[in-house]
Amino acid sequence: MRFDSVSTIYRKEMLDSVRDHRTLLSMVVVPLIALPVLSLFVVKMVTVVERRAGAKAQTIAISGAERLPGLLNALAGAGLKFVPREDLEAAIESKEFAAGVEPVELPDGRKEVRIYADLTRQDSEMAAQRIRAALDQFKETNARIRLREMGVPDEVLTPFTVERVNVAQKKMAGFMWGSVLGYVVVFLMSSGGMYAAIDLTAGEKERRTLEILLSAPAGRSEIILAKILATTTAVFVTAFLTLASLAVSFVYIGRQVAQPMLKALSEGVPLDIGTLGLILLALLPTAVMIASIMVAVALFAKSYKEAVSYLTPVMIAAIFPLIAGLLPGTQLTPALALIPLFNVCQLMKEIFLGDYSRLSLVITLVSNTVYAAAAYYFAVRVFKSESVLFRT
Amino acid sequence: MIQVRNLTKVFNVPKRGVVRAVDHVSFEVRAGEIFGLLGPNGAGKTTTLRILATVLQPTEGTAVLGGYDVVQQPEQVRRQIGFLSGDMGLYHRLTPREILTFFGKLNGFRGAELKQRLSDVLARLGIENIADVKVDKLSTGQRQRVAVARTLVQDPPILILDEPASGLDVPTARVIEEYILEARNAGKCIILSTHVMEEAEYLCDRIAVIHEGRITATGTMAELRAATGKERLREIFLCLLGLESLERKTSRAI
Repeated sequence: MRFDSVSTIYRKEMLDSVRDHRTLLSMVVVPLIALPVLSLFVVKMVTVVERRAGAKAQTIAISGAERLPGLLNALAGAGLKFVPREDLEAAIESKEFAAGVEPVELPDGRKEVRIYADLTRQDSEMAAQRIRAALDQFKETNARIRLREMGVPDEVLTPFTVERVNVAQKKMAGFMWGSVLGYVVVFLMSSGGMYAAIDLTAGEKERRTLEILLSAPAGRSEIILAKILATTTAVFVTAFLTLASLAVSFVYIGRQVAQPMLKALSEGVPLDIGTLGLILLALLPTAVMIASIMVAVALFAKSYKEAVSYLTPVMIAAIFPLIAGLLPGTQLTPALALIPLFNVCQLMKEIFLGDYSRLSLVITLVSNTVYAAAAYYFAVRVFKSESVLFRT
Repeated sequence: MIQVRNLTKVFNVPKRGVVRAVDHVSFEVRAGEIFGLLGPNGAGKTTTLRILATVLQPTEGTAVLGGYDVVQQPEQVRRQIGFLSGDMGLYHRLTPREILTFFGKLNGFRGAELKQRLSDVLARLGIENIADVKVDKLSTGQRQRVAVARTLVQDPPILILDEPASGLDVPTARVIEEYILEARNAGKCIILSTHVMEEAEYLCDRIAVIHEGRITATGTMAELRAATGKERLREIFLCLLGLESLERKTSRAI
């Protein structure tokens, strides 16, 4: 193995790849531009929808307000506007109002306040929550007034207060990030490497340059190593850019939006160099494995088009271990750390959470390195097979 | 420079079974000689040349180029040869300078020596002005000059040319022919495949007619004329392929 030959071929392959629009699009443009733009678009949509729902939830329909004196003041005090309507169900179903409220007298003389809402609609649910909060407040105020009149102190009504403390506050962002991002990154890594793998194999066959390269003074092991290195670079660059651009766009989004969940997500994003470095290290053997498999499969094809049709089922097959990781409650046990793709996604999640186990890290890295070596060996065997390279 | 003995290549083709693409082929090519492999499509010309270029491995037989065996010492063989085909095999997204640099480096040239070679080759083929234009922007003729430049940059003693002028117009084909004749005069050993009679007659010192994987005759034009009693290479070729009677019938019908 002469590494200067490998280096010469690698440089040529990289130069050729970065001038290929398809490779450049999937390797750079998608992670760097499309994903942040898409995230921004989703955030804008969520914000607009919530704002509209909030605005609509301000005004409610009301019927029989006279049956409960003080109700209108209580609703107005909670910032709600109200319009009298007879048929509350029809008013909500026609979407004229988000929700409705109606006090009724029960046969036993007690009073009941009915809230009408369509819980499949976000605005209706928001309005119903506001009405409920206003009514709770109204109920408590009335009770306090009566107790004071009876000479009972306020403390009787409020013997204690309740405060919920989320012990995983800081971990929430890591959990959300790790759960979704790992799968996005691994999936985009595959698509980022796909066009490079095809271009350097089936593309070379189609353009009739492979024969010339094979007759040049370079060994087949050197040629295939350079091709896999070039594809690995494309896969790895995609991973790096996806992580970087998503991190930056999440932070930006967090600063721009007031939405509490998104804000919490952005504030808890672990963006230190150590975390990102560990994730990139965890992804390296997977990148080599993905590149080797793609190069090996694409070598069977005689044309670019044929290679795309061969690699598409491979990409679909890769989605299954990724989906398994999205199931609730899945954790990276030493046994599960042996499953390729699944293990690296779970490991990413645990790294983001900040509580990965060293054993899982080592098992994942070692098993993925073994898979990468096996995939590389397979690709070399395929490349040395005449019946594959010159398939008729 | 080239010694081929009983070279055989068998393929297992789906739906066709075992196919003997090359069947016990033997010949020799000396330095300063142009040896033509003349045959119809599918005769085994390209397979023979691919074995000589170490792209394919023979099923049986031996081929030695410049003293190196294609099976035992393929990398040494590759340092002795320049391979050129009608497809040209150029990287369309690279410029001629980038392609020549790439192959120059693979052949072990570096630094000032590589730079000098590039500049000489570009000047010799008159392509300095297009050296930094991507290949996909070049005309067919310009591309073929670049393909020739690729083989010149390494300046190998043996040239393997697989239908090098296939599909080219007359002026462009002329560039290739001049290149081949110049290489012969410089003492190179040249083997070329073709199915164009004029090209074979004009360029080749000796010709081997190959049909269904076997060589049916080898010799100079004079020797082939004497062996077949025919004057024109086209008639000699058809005679050696056993298609003479068909041509006579056609001639009579006309």
